[in-house]
Amino acid sequence: MRPAWSWQFEATTLPPVLVGMPAEITREWAWEGSSGAGVSVAVIDSGIDASHPAVGSVDGGAVIVVDPDAPGGTRAVEGPHEDLFGHGTACAAIIRHAAPDARLFSLRVLGERLTGKGAAFAHAIRWAIEHGVRVVNMSLSTSRADYFGVFHELADAAYFSGTMLVCALNNVRGPTYPSQFASVFSVAAHSGADPFRFDYNPKPPAEFGAPGIDLEVAWLGSKTIRATGNSFAAPHITGVIARILAKHPRLTPFQMKTVLMALADNATRSGAEG
Amino acid sequence: MSDAPGDRDVLRALAGLASDAGPVLRLRGDREFLTAIAETARLAFDAAACSIAVLSENERELEFRAAAGAGADATVGLRIPSDRGIAGWAVMSGQAIAIADVSRDPRFAAEVAATTGYVPTAIMAMPLENERRTFGVIEVLDRRRGGGEGMDDLELLACFARLTTLALETARVFSNLGRVLFESAALAADGDDLRHALERLAADAPKPRAELTQLTLLLHELAEAGPDELLAATRVANAVLIYARTRRR
Repeated sequence: MRPAWSWQFEATTLPPVLVGMPAEITREWAWEGSSGAGVSVAVIDSGIDASHPAVGSVDGGAVIVVDPDAPGGTRAVEGPHEDLFGHGTACAAIIRHAAPDARLFSLRVLGERLTGKGAAFAHAIRWAIEHGVRVVNMSLSTSRADYFGVFHELADAAYFSGTMLVCALNNVRGPTYPSQFASVFSVAAHSGADPFRFDYNPKPPAEFGAPGIDLEVAWLGSKTIRATGNSFAAPHITGVIARILAKHPRLTPFQMKTVLMALADNATRSGAEG
Repeated sequence: MSDAPGDRDVLRALAGLASDAGPVLRLRGDREFLTAIAETARLAFDAAACSIAVLSENERELEFRAAAGAGADATVGLRIPSDRGIAGWAVMSGQAIAIADVSRDPRFAAEVAATTGYVPTAIMAMPLENERRTFGVIEVLDRRRGGGEGMDDLELLACFARLTTLALETARVFSNLGRVLFESAALAADGDDLRHALERLAADAPKPRAELTQLTLLLHELAEAGPDELLAATRVANAVLIYARTRRR
């Protein structure tokens, strides 16, 4: 008799796993020559202005609308849409800079009533997983305790399907979802400005630090503004992940974290740990 | 919890009693308290202005409840759509944001100029929320002092945001005590059935009756005016009650 699941580890059923990780992870190995080509990236935010020169193009997406008659209270209206606030465009441009040839998808959840925000947000993550999106940028979060379970389930589903969720932490202390879950890439702003420089924090929930202070970012009306927020740090990590995935498409979320940790500015291979 | 009709009646009566009593227990001067927070934040940042906006019941608008500094008089009472602007984004996304040159966002600049008459260069906006709900947003315009770098300023603003959220939560608790009592019990409930039953009770809890609230607030104010006023008010109330009983016979 064997316990459940143990059959998966029989020599006849267990597939070989290509590790594909070098002994030493370098920037050259990780992304040299890569433009993020073909990697699908979804931005769950306020929409993306596809006509902004820093964005270039948007490959698709949907507006998640609150509809009490729809199953789960929300439905996806696929097709082009505008950016209501400017923030989604800012994130898209940051990602585009790091991964110019990535395929960008806009999932607009902001602008609807707040009551439905959590459900719309959850719908957008589900949409991304079901459409095989590899990286999802979420510069938004919820503190609502009643969404803990919903987002935990979705974060697990994303992790098991290889969809990498990149979440900005918010500024108010206390739990926010899904940014505090261990399976997501949680990001806060550090004071650097180089879009390809980031830090790894061994004491999460803020697992990665990336530029997010006083940045020139794309905004509405084909303009730019100078802005600060953790919400601008997340798309830097999203862009870097897309760039790496284009060159190493088989990487799993936990391998990607290992790669980012190894490439972090504070990574060290000798000497004392901090 | 039993589903027996008697139990449900008792719980509904309890919710009604709590709803009626809540507004009397509410701290008076909560608007002044919000204004004091706005003024303190304005001074802490050496800012041109600070304002606090609260989401309307249908969540489609943000209403400015308190403001200090430039344009404060024009700002208080102002309502703006919650689905646009820097404040709208902060509320919708649950994220803090600081913009150094908002006048480059043409829609924002036009909106603000048309309403408050003061067009800021820089703005910080932070959502006011806790684990139960989002209340609104606190904004600081054109700060001249702070942590030097943006995130330090946002951390300082987070302290004011927590304070404001606590004030709004407290006001809400007493404004709608019947509902909040059962919502709180639902949050603490162990089983799904009990939690859902309490959530239903919270949703069905009666709102405070405006006339009764007004009467109790008047009596409360009289009681605090002094012992003579309290005695006079009690005598008048007794006389009215005796007259009302006489008429019912």
